[in-house]
Amino acid sequence: MSFSIIPALDLLAGRIVRLREGDFSSPTFYDDAFELVDRWPAGTLLHVVDLEAARSGRPIELELVRALVRKGFRLQVGGGVRSIDDARTWLGIGADRVIIGTVACDQPQLFRSIVEAVGSEKVLPALDIRCGEVRTHGWIATGARTIEETLKVVEGAGCSEALVTDVSRDGKMGGPSFALYRSLAELTPLRIIASGGVTTKRDVDALSRLKNVSGAVVGKAILERRIDALARPETSLLPRIIPCLDVRNGRVAKGVRFEGLRDAGDPAELAARYEAEGADEIVLLDIVATPERRGAALETVARVADLLSIPFTVGGGVRSLEDFRALLMAGADRVAINSAAVARPELLREAASEFGVQAVVLACDVAGGGAGEVMVGGGRFPTGLDAVEWCRRAEQEGAGEILLTSIDRDGTHAGFDVTLLRRISSAVQVGVIASGGAGTLEHFRDAIEEGGCSAVLAASLFHDRVLSIRDVKRFLRDAGIPMRRSAA
Amino acid sequence: MSVTLVDTPFSNRRNIVNALARAGATVTLSSDAAEIAAADTVILPGVGAFSTAMQWLRERRIDIALKDAVARHAMLLGVCLGYQLLFESSTEMGSTLGLGFLRGEVTSFQGTQSAPPKIGWNSIQIVKPSALFVGIADQADMYFVHSFRVERSVDCVAVASCGGRFVAAAERGNVFGVQFHPEKSSVSGARVINNFVQLAARCAA
Repeated sequence: MSFSIIPALDLLAGRIVRLREGDFSSPTFYDDAFELVDRWPAGTLLHVVDLEAARSGRPIELELVRALVRKGFRLQVGGGVRSIDDARTWLGIGADRVIIGTVACDQPQLFRSIVEAVGSEKVLPALDIRCGEVRTHGWIATGARTIEETLKVVEGAGCSEALVTDVSRDGKMGGPSFALYRSLAELTPLRIIASGGVTTKRDVDALSRLKNVSGAVVGKAILERRIDALARPETSLLPRIIPCLDVRNGRVAKGVRFEGLRDAGDPAELAARYEAEGADEIVLLDIVATPERRGAALETVARVADLLSIPFTVGGGVRSLEDFRALLMAGADRVAINSAAVARPELLREAASEFGVQAVVLACDVAGGGAGEVMVGGGRFPTGLDAVEWCRRAEQEGAGEILLTSIDRDGTHAGFDVTLLRRISSAVQVGVIASGGAGTLEHFRDAIEEGGCSAVLAASLFHDRVLSIRDVKRFLRDAGIPMRRSAA
Repeated sequence: MSVTLVDTPFSNRRNIVNALARAGATVTLSSDAAEIAAADTVILPGVGAFSTAMQWLRERRIDIALKDAVARHAMLLGVCLGYQLLFESSTEMGSTLGLGFLRGEVTSFQGTQSAPPKIGWNSIQIVKPSALFVGIADQADMYFVHSFRVERSVDCVAVASCGGRFVAAAERGNVFGVQFHPEKSSVSGARVINNFVQLAARCAA
């Protein structure tokens, strides 16, 4: 099943608008959007909603829809389609299919008769959902039936696809409701077109992996040029699971990373074991990292590197290009820089220029959750820097990936700070490695899907054998997230 | 089984040396044209910019040495940037000529001149039988790091997809190349290196 990005155009008084959560009192007009529309090739499927009609129940935007049809677009048109006549009106002026929401929920008989009259392939049933309820009449009312009942009506009428919008996400660009679409896979065999909150290309890619989701309607993110309507979903680079070795005096330290450390074993043994168990990469952080310990630390890096044939990223106390070079020569593939980059961001540029962008990882420790202040010195000293701004700057300077650690969550097993991760991953093009808070299988999934991360890191969770890498990968694979397989 | 690794300044040598040693090869690092020209088995590694690397090779006449070696039926394996250098040219920095062993051109990922490099694991699809991939499952995952790629080549033996299909591995006669890092691709990657080393050993015998 190939996945479609379907641009959404909401029409009000002959103009393209976006509402926030369906609130008519505060529309944003996008008059320059027509210029964007003109660039799309004929045959592109568009999702058009006659907003006033949705509220009052009578087709209004006929002129504009005729114009779009003349340009050669395929249209699914909705908003207040409440009768066979309404359906025929839109289909008559050239729409491919009509979107029917309120009636599918409140008037099953009428819904069935419309489907019978025009054919099920000409009808796209729509469920607009907020807080587990179907919303109707332009979202201002609660539907007469539950989600499950409405789905049964739709299935019974012969439809094979349904549009499902999470109203609470719509217009907010905060990410789609993966949990909702997942739960629908349990409830119905219908193919789902997702809508509401689809903000980044990563959101599109993540949705395209859900087996029951056939497409995504994208409104604001396309109008604001964050997503290209003509882009294709890309799922080829596999999300990585990364065990992290915090090393102190040549031994792996166990415990909450920023305090309270105990011995958890030999780094080389542990790294080799993790590779055998399916780790996609190893991160080693030297948590003592003083000039006196430099030589010994390099020896540990070399011992680990000699046993690994998976990517190896090393950080901790990297202050200069010489430190960088020494670690690469010792066998690291990539080097993470933290405090030194905050002190002198040009160091990132110099390292990228000398060793390549792919060798440079920005390690960023953040306190304070969603708003996010960058901390340095092993999480001890506040910088006053906003995490998003700093990560953007680091990317510009040459960081090839960002290792983002939530200090508040680290060691708690309470889950990643997904809001923070999403803020960062939406703001940069490079990958973000989630760190800090891994506790359950679902946390890994959420970091990748909601958080938009390209990799997930955990330390004590694996060292303490709470979960194995195999457990994590199996769970993610079942959730539709592809994982590297370890067999030859 | 002796293997000469071209000692370019642009690569992390340690990992590939370890990988070759595990495959049973004795590795000699060399940036000497005469040595390379006389070698039976050569590995060309590399990370970074095509034009910088070609310049480095030309300055030391290693480009000619590689051509001599290949003409003498030495086995040559290019890895990552080393693989790209085996082709005819690259559009990085305008247009730069490569070594021309393999047919095709190196180009940037579509419309992403300033995009970050593609870093990560990706599945390869074997499209033609190759000694490199004996014993490796189709859709095996390999580790890639690159901003440029070869979109198509008549010498292609395996493809991968990242915003479009590209050539993940190619071979022609005694010249082989892989876009991914076999020394970083765990068991599957080790098998590729093993296969190459064993093939070279058979040909030398």
